[in-house]
Amino acid sequence: MNISVRSAPLTRPEKIGLGVIAVVALLAPVIFSNFFLSALLTQAIWLGLVALSLIFLSSYGGMVSLAQVAIFGIAGLVTANLSEAEGGLSVAIDPWLAAIIAILVAVAVALIFGAIASRSEGIYFLMITLAFGVMVYYFFGQVTSLAGHGGVNNVAIPGIVGDRVNDPASFYYVSLAVAAACYFGLRYLGRTPFGLTLQGIRDEPTRMRALGYHVEVHRTLAFGVAGLVAALAGVLFVWWGRRIGPGAVELATVIDVLVVAVIGGLYRLHGAWVGALAFVLLDNYTRRWTPEIGDILGPERFNTLLGLIFLAIVLISPGGLVGAYESLRDRVRAYFAGRRGDVQEDASLAPPAPDGASGAAAGAPADRPNGPVAAQADVTFQRSKTQTATPEIGGEE
Amino acid sequence: MPEKATADARPILSLKGIGRRFGGLDAVRGVDLEIKPGERRAILGPNGAGKTTLFNLISGEFPPTSGTVHLFGEDVSALPARKRARMGLARTFQTSRLFGGLTVEDNVYLAVLGVRDGHLRPVLNHEDSEMRERAREIATQMGLGEVLDREVAELSHGEQRQLEVAMARATDPKLMLLDEPAAGLSRTERQTLTELLLGLPEDITLVIIEHDMDVALRVATWVTMMYEGQVIAEGTPDEIRANEMVHDLYLGRRHAA
Ligand SMILES: Nc1ncnc2c1ncn2[C@@H]1O[C@H](COP(=O)(O)OP(=O)(O)O)[C@@H](O)[C@H]1O
Ligand SMILES: [Mg+2]
Repeated sequence: MNISVRSAPLTRPEKIGLGVIAVVALLAPVIFSNFFLSALLTQAIWLGLVALSLIFLSSYGGMVSLAQVAIFGIAGLVTANLSEAEGGLSVAIDPWLAAIIAILVAVAVALIFGAIASRSEGIYFLMITLAFGVMVYYFFGQVTSLAGHGGVNNVAIPGIVGDRVNDPASFYYVSLAVAAACYFGLRYLGRTPFGLTLQGIRDEPTRMRALGYHVEVHRTLAFGVAGLVAALAGVLFVWWGRRIGPGAVELATVIDVLVVAVIGGLYRLHGAWVGALAFVLLDNYTRRWTPEIGDILGPERFNTLLGLIFLAIVLISPGGLVGAYESLRDRVRAYFAGRRGDVQEDASLAPPAPDGASGAAAGAPADRPNGPVAAQADVTFQRSKTQTATPEIGGEE
Repeated sequence: MPEKATADARPILSLKGIGRRFGGLDAVRGVDLEIKPGERRAILGPNGAGKTTLFNLISGEFPPTSGTVHLFGEDVSALPARKRARMGLARTFQTSRLFGGLTVEDNVYLAVLGVRDGHLRPVLNHEDSEMRERAREIATQMGLGEVLDREVAELSHGEQRQLEVAMARATDPKLMLLDEPAAGLSRTERQTLTELLLGLPEDITLVIIEHDMDVALRVATWVTMMYEGQVIAEGTPDEIRANEMVHDLYLGRRHAA
């Protein structure tokens, strides 16, 4: 199993494509309707952030964590309680201060979770992080002094951020800025001693110990970093919906975030938003599109269709949508490289190793066709439940 | 190392009555071993003799069930692997343990960084360029100059074995443990490796497990023979070559018990 977070250098069409995406992202408030902007795009941004924290841990640290939603929820719950709100403590301090304290609390909890989970690997790690998630869910459900009876509602938000209903553009830009900062921050971190050490631990913890590294401390701190990202998402979530309740951290949400990460691509940070956007769009539109097929399918059973689509994506491409794109691109490239003649092939890779690489890979040495995911997360997720996840989100406008 | 490796120099590594049990199996039992600074020692023995387990006990992979390990004059029996590494102990693994998702340069860079401070530094600075410089230098010395930017998963088996040694070398160790570095190498690759090992600085003390006599006996000045968890013979390469028991063991005509 080899995970590589390195992508091939961008081609010209890809650079143009990215430029177009950046322009569309920046001009989104002008291009799209208010509903599309605030309900779908902005939701995709914070949902993508939660997935980003999961993808960061899995792609750089080899840790598939199911506790990210819990961290997200804790940040949200603390924000909601410290701000002025209905239900909960309604401490009513400045919303910014509330957010900062919330992030600190969430990161502290993430570090504690990390310290406990860092000693285990594989399925045990998965189960421990799931236990954290379930624990936090029950906390939300039972400690009504904090989580309210119908959640904490009408949470006060900072003036500049803007109410997403009346001022969707401001809220969108704030979310976009946070997301961009997290994305580029994590990419940068990946090249620093901290990030490279984490990747070494992902590939061979035993070797890392033999080289002088403290594997558990490092994993714990990585959990803290991912916790920061999840906490930012949690604050955005509360400001976005102005409410939070146990539904935000229930098991269905944990699965949703995992689905987002997997269909986007577990081994590329930007997969988080590819997955989130696909998820949000499907979640919103399959309701209308689901065809009537006897008792089996129908608009009220849109989750079945959703499940089938996710299943198809995961089966067709283990690297999710990003993986599918990358392998398609590589095939196209190999095709054109092949047509340009065999000359290139000869001069390709210097030492003809006994089990050497087959010639076709000549053009792009850094490429990984698609992340050989299966070994790590050979769990197949299917959204077969009839209930909608994240009820807060459902029934928009 | 200014002082010469004389017979009365303090041992760099000393094992006293070291043993390790796995369930009902004594993988290593009551081994005493002393390695002097600058020594080149080979450890021979058939598969299952306990050689790798002995390395694991020295490097701190797991604790011994009996006996003590002294490294550079200190009792390290209770120290974890990472602390022993930072004292100047480096090792390679019988089956390569490399960072498959990283490039050759990154692999060696992590070896250079490991014994220094700043594992947690979340920003890049001038130290990184210096460590990368060092990593490229070592990798090139070890014959990997052409593949610095390749991902390890794409390397040939021979290159991976070279990288194993390069990573141990990159930590500037005082004591280096090599576990079958020539395993699976072709004839020419084995010769290259032997030259690389002979070219290591003299102040690096070397302990090498190796089945290939051409490699082991050329590199080593003293040989320890293990069988069923115990040391059964010691001597110069010539003495070992002439030893009948050694021949029997390697030809598979095993002595009963
Ligand atoms: N981690 C372990 N758990 C259980 N048994 C082990 C372990 N490591 C080694 N052994 C057993 O100890 C014996 C010695 O193994 P090893 O040290 O690898 O031998 P060698 O390296 O000389 O071939 C073998 O019988 C092996 O199966
Ligand atoms: Mg062995």
